[in-house]
Formats: sequence, structure tokens, C-alpha cells
Amino acid sequence: MAATLQVYDPIAPCLTQPQKTRHSLDKLAGKTIGFIDNAKPNFNHLVQELSRELTVRHGVKAVVTRRKRSASQGVPEAALAELVTQTDAVVAGSGD
Amino acid sequence: MAKAGKAALTVVSQSFVNLGRAQQKALGSPDLPMAIVPHPFGTRSREELKLIAAKCADDIAKLLCEAAPQTAAATAAPVVPRAKLIEAPADLDELNKFFIKRRWGDGMIVAPPTLEALARMLRHTRRLPDEVVATIAPGMGAATVEYIAIQGVMAGCYPEYLPVLIAAAEAVAEKKFHLQAIQATTNPAAVWLIINGPAAKWLEVNSGAGCLGPGTWANATLGRALRLILQNIGGALPGEMDKATQGQSAKYSMCCAENEAANPWQPLHVERGFAADASTVTVVGALGTWNMNMTARNADEVLAMLADTMQYPASSDYITGGAPFVILSPQHAALFHAAGLSKADVKQRLWAQSRIRAGRSKGSEFERMATGRRAELGEITPDTMVPISEKPDDISIIVAGGPGSHSVFVPVSAHTRSSTKAIVWSKGAAQGNFVSI
Repeated sequence: MAATLQVYDPIAPCLTQPQKTRHSLDKLAGKTIGFIDNAKPNFNHLVQELSRELTVRHGVKAVVTRRKRSASQGVPEAALAELVTQTDAVVAGSGD
Repeated sequence: MAKAGKAALTVVSQSFVNLGRAQQKALGSPDLPMAIVPHPFGTRSREELKLIAAKCADDIAKLLCEAAPQTAAATAAPVVPRAKLIEAPADLDELNKFFIKRRWGDGMIVAPPTLEALARMLRHTRRLPDEVVATIAPGMGAATVEYIAIQGVMAGCYPEYLPVLIAAAEAVAEKKFHLQAIQATTNPAAVWLIINGPAAKWLEVNSGAGCLGPGTWANATLGRALRLILQNIGGALPGEMDKATQGQSAKYSMCCAENEAANPWQPLHVERGFAADASTVTVVGALGTWNMNMTARNADEVLAMLADTMQYPASSDYITGGAPFVILSPQHAALFHAAGLSKADVKQRLWAQSRIRAGRSKGSEFERMATGRRAELGEITPDTMVPISEKPDDISIIVAGGPGSHSVFVPVSAHTRSSTKAIVWSKGAAQGNFVSI
């Protein structure tokens, strides 16, 4: 058997504990959906199309959209507060 | 949003699904649903988007209304684990194959992180091995003193470099540095280390000719150790959570000291409020290095060329309001100083002269600029002259390098602000005996 030596595994653990963060709606009809537009190219257009689809085919009552200044920035606190108070569910975007 | 008790969901393009899953886990929300759309959607026509939206809307409706799976929520505070020793091949070639197979390195040969090597490095700190110095995005790994030291050993750092690595880990984790974006972006964002103060001299960090490489042990290994911290602790593996389209060679290592002896003005750390005899490390989210060879002997002419070079329409700096760096050669710094210009004067002139006509950015890039700078500049038309940063002082200037007529422009990643931290060692520590406190 080939000689061995002891070395440290260099991969550090993530200490974040899992939380229960998923919440469900009983139905989509009559609900207000919030969108966070991440300012990536075309995402604003995708949000427009999704809003139309959700309203026409799934009975969504209203859509509230807030746009970030850019994809790599967080959502402004004021916009977050508006989405929390004005919507039943929030959809964010990620990717290109 | 979900943590506020709101139903939430993410629309993710296919190539970012793995990153998204890893991010959710790292942030403690592994149960959040995702609706997946084809990648890239940014280049699709409106007709294609309609088809994508029809399918995605159905997915959203289903995912928002289906019952949430049972997730075992944690009840006890996590215990910070100590690094584990494992058996690996003693032969160096085989050991490196063992590491490469597990993606524990950066593609170059690593030194074995043995018990003895780690112990030698930990002698240069009084902090406990399991003390969490920082949490490193995007994987939110715990950068304990021990794990930082392990990366230093692997990179070939001398043990006395440990206080620099500890300060660097603190610096990248500072909120304004925006490490999450730097690590996960498709841009080629490298983290550049700038060392100021007496530590640079004591540790022999090159600030002169060829300071950005190659050829200096401290520069090479310090920058490399930070890359391993970002990868092995932060989880940013290329192609996985590190989404860089090409990356760049500076992601292997980018480190230098400021050439304070050749700087006619205050060095970077003093400008940022540290004492002249303090030692600091500054981290910068660098997108590249643009050589500017300017033999002109007139300060106005050199400034004009420098400002002209800083302008390019596909720049994150102009789209979001950046915080770029300029490395002045000693020759150019001396030229500006002789012309009666302070560092603030140079920044002001560069800021004013590097404004770009917004119309040079086309299509969706123009839209991104208009969105990104609207709060600062108001409505942007193609004829709006857009500055590279919100204010002149957002441009940072250091002096580095040896003889020559070359200065360097360093554009930076979107929304990052460089971060400077003190390298702290015990009182009375002398050269070669750094002890972090």
C-alpha cells in the first residue's frame, strides 16, 4: 500500500441553519403578486408577460413590480416594505 | 421576503440553478421553490419571451400553491467545527491529484496542509483556531482562524503571513465590498490585495518593478491564499458558484504593496484614516488591468490620455457608478506632483475628463445605465455625459511599480467598494515575528 500522510480537509463548513421559509397560497385567483425586477436585460419584459399570463389565465387580481437599480444590488428597504404590505406572494429573478 | 412569512419564489435561468440552490442552502432557505426558464433569456425576442412566460406562469401558479415540504428547522445553535485530518497520499504528485479530484485547489501544485505546517502558522496568532473571523459568501463558509491558516499553508505562504490573511478575510466580508456579487458574477472579478505600511517591507511584499507579478514569493502566495479562502471557504468553485464567463489569470493571485517611498502624496491607508505606521490590507474587486504607456512629459497630456483610456461603454463602472482604481507609476505621480497637483486634484480631473456620452452604450446596456444612474443623474438621454463614479473621491489612486512610463487602470466589479482593514499583531512584535491579536 502506498505511503500516506495526514492532511487537513480545507473545505470550511457553512454554519447557517436551515429554517422553514416556504409558505404557500391556497389559490392564486384574487391574489396580488409582487415582482422584483432584477434589471437584467429582458427581465422587465418577462415580468410583463408573466403578469399578463398570471392575470388572464390564473385569475391574479393585481401585480406590483419594483425594479432594482441593478442585478447585483439588493432591493431598497422601502420597496421591500411595500411588497410585504401590498402583496400576497413575491417573485424574484436570478440569472441572465 | 420568505423569512417575513410571505410566499416567495425565484425565477432562475437554467445556468444559474446550481448557484441558486447553493445560495438558498447557504442562506438557510433550502426549501424555497424555483421556476426555471431557459438560459439566456436576456437575448430572446418578445415572441420567445411570450412562450417562456406561458410555461413559467404555470410553474409559478403550481409552486406557489403546492404544500410546502416538511423542513427540519434547526433548534440548537451551530457548533463551530474544527478542521479534520484525513489520510492522503504522501507522494506529492499523488497528493495533488487527490486534491484536484476533490476540487480543493486552484489548478496549481499545493503544499500539504499537515498538522505540523498548520501549527507553525498558528504560532503567528493569539486568536483561537476555532474563532470565526468572517463568513465568506456565497457559500457562507466559516472562515475560522484555522481554516484561513490551512489555505495559507496550501498556497505556500510563510507562517508570518497569517495576520495579513486574517485581515484580508475580514476585509472581503465587509458589507460594502459586496463579496456575494464579486464571487458569483459572470464578470472576471479578481480580488486584488494591496498592502500598506511597515508590514509590506517586513514581509517583503513587492511594491516596485513587476509588483503585480511574477517573481515575488509574498505577492504570489498571499494573493493565492486569498483565492483559496474564496474558493474553499466561500465555496466559489469556477463554473459552479463562481459564474465567471472566462475569469482571468489575476484570479490565481493579485497582490502588491503600495510604493509609498515613491508616492508624493499620502499613501492609501493614511488617506483612509489609518496612522502612517499602521499596516493595512485593502481588497479591491478588480476586473482587469489596463496598461497605459504614456511618455508625454506634460501633466495635462498624461491626464487626458488616462481619462480617455478609462472610458469604455461596456464598463460596470459607468453603468452603476463605480469605484475604480488607478495605479500611477512613480514617474507619472512625480510628474503630477511637480505640476502642483494634489491627489484630490488628479481625481477631480480624471472624474471630469472621463465622462462618457451615454449613447455609446447601446440597447439593453443603455437601459441598464439609465436605470442604474437615474437616482443620481436623473433621466438619461443618449447625450447625457455620465461620470465613471458618483463623485471624484470614489476613484482611488495608489502609486506602485518601478521605473517606466506605464500607469494602470483597474476597473472594478459593479457596486463593490474597496475595503481596508488593519493588520494587527502583538505589541513588540518584530520583523519575522508577526502575531495577530
